[in-house]
Amino acid sequence: MSFFSMMLKMSEGLSKTCAIFFLTLLFSLPLGMLVALMRMSRNRFISTVTRGIISVLRGTPLMLQLLAVTYGPYYLFGFSVSRNKLIPVVIAFAINYAAYFAEIYRGGIESIPKGQYEAAQVLGYSRLRTFLRIILPQVVKRIMPSITNEVVTLVKDTSIAFTVSYQEMFTIGKQIANSQTSFLPFVVAGIFYFAFNAIVDFGMGRVEKRLNYYR
Amino acid sequence: MTQETRPGTPVLELRNIEKSFSGSTVLRDISVTVNRGNVVSIIGPSGSGKSTLLRCASFLETADGGDILYDGEYAMQGGRYADKDMLWNFRSRFGLVFQNFNLFPHYSVLKNISEPPTLRGVSKAEAEEKARLLLGKMGLSGRENAYPYQLSGGQQQRVAIARALALEPEILYFDEPTSALDPELTGEVLKVIRQLADEKMTMVIVTHEMAFARAVSEWVVFMDGGVIVEEGPPDLVLQNPEMERTRQFLTNYEK
Ligand SMILES: Nc1ncnc2c1ncn2[C@@H]1O[C@H](COP(=O)(O)OP(=O)(O)O)[C@@H](O)[C@H]1O
Ligand SMILES: [Mg+2]
Repeated sequence: MSFFSMMLKMSEGLSKTCAIFFLTLLFSLPLGMLVALMRMSRNRFISTVTRGIISVLRGTPLMLQLLAVTYGPYYLFGFSVSRNKLIPVVIAFAINYAAYFAEIYRGGIESIPKGQYEAAQVLGYSRLRTFLRIILPQVVKRIMPSITNEVVTLVKDTSIAFTVSYQEMFTIGKQIANSQTSFLPFVVAGIFYFAFNAIVDFGMGRVEKRLNYYR
Repeated sequence: MTQETRPGTPVLELRNIEKSFSGSTVLRDISVTVNRGNVVSIIGPSGSGKSTLLRCASFLETADGGDILYDGEYAMQGGRYADKDMLWNFRSRFGLVFQNFNLFPHYSVLKNISEPPTLRGVSKAEAEEKARLLLGKMGLSGRENAYPYQLSGGQQQRVAIARALALEPEILYFDEPTSALDPELTGEVLKVIRQLADEKMTMVIVTHEMAFARAVSEWVVFMDGGVIVEEGPPDLVLQNPEMERTRQFLTNYEK
């Protein structure tokens, strides 16, 4: 098999890689905020439970979590989440990344000086308005570099979907590598991930620049 | 001293305010009345409870006991605050200027000043016009589109004063408005406050600027250890204090 046809074959899996990537972000970014707010809840029960969940999600391999979501229900209850592997993959990824994003959000929110809340309160901002208009925009700016880090990691983590044989780019590459006894597919995969991340870097850089109008 | 020496209608009355933080008493039976058009300065060593008192009056801290009245209406009675909506209404009666400005860094100068009034039903156009007017008064015309980080500390504090004034408060609180500033920048802020005093703005000013306190205020309150040690007209309290503790404090400041 030629280098070119390898690339062609693997790029067919690229759309699935993209699907994992974008769907994970779509769900985990907002879910992370919800988790962060629960983690910071004044209700001790909610915050403690949330903290425990976050620590399990961050303390165990994503691969294990993916296997659990994909096959766990079958072993426990005798049914699968879905025939389409994309669904358990996205569920596992979104939950895992939400835990990481939650900690980033929390760090960002806690880094905003108390004086911002106090000024807003005295000036008549409601609590919701204070959060949405005063706090959140500043948090977004502060956490952008950490978010970029996670997004770059996510691009590479999509390859973990090979453990449940979801036909994304890396899984196809690995199959070719096995059948052709060639190392070349891994080189191709490396090039794809690197190019993907170059685009991500460029995009996130643009966003960070746009937020640079104030300090 | 009684009301007779300070005629006028009270804008703010603090009666027997008590406040403690986790067991340690920070304010003990504090009563202060501020009449319309008057300037009251609060002086005292660090940790004496000056900020806490202003923060109780502006609902940033919850006092444990006492009464807080604005224009004779209870915002707090016997340690119980009015309901949320009432407090929101009371908040429009006072403004608070912080030591470190607390401007919103992601808002332009104009938006910092003009957004809060729109939360109370003022139209955006009207609020912006008012903001421009106030900026002119603060000597900051032309800086509407600047962001706070582009301004000096003195300019930021003047924006913060404009922001407080935009809500047309009946009384303005200052918590050490020049303490975070380089010495060469304190003058421009004090000048603005003085101008407000000349216009008969009602104000309570926590300050370490004794000469300034003496020049602008009708009444000076000296606090120490959570109690009012001595109060009276500035010429008495600052020039000829009765209490030994006041004298000590002032001597330390002259050095
Ligand atoms: N949020 C708080 N929690 C615990 N102690 C506090 C808090 N705020 C102030 N204090 C204490 O209350 C006392 C008075 O503080 P403060 O009102 O800031 O004094 P001042 O403004 O006169 O320097 C200090 O001993 C301070 O440590
Ligand atoms: Mg203070």
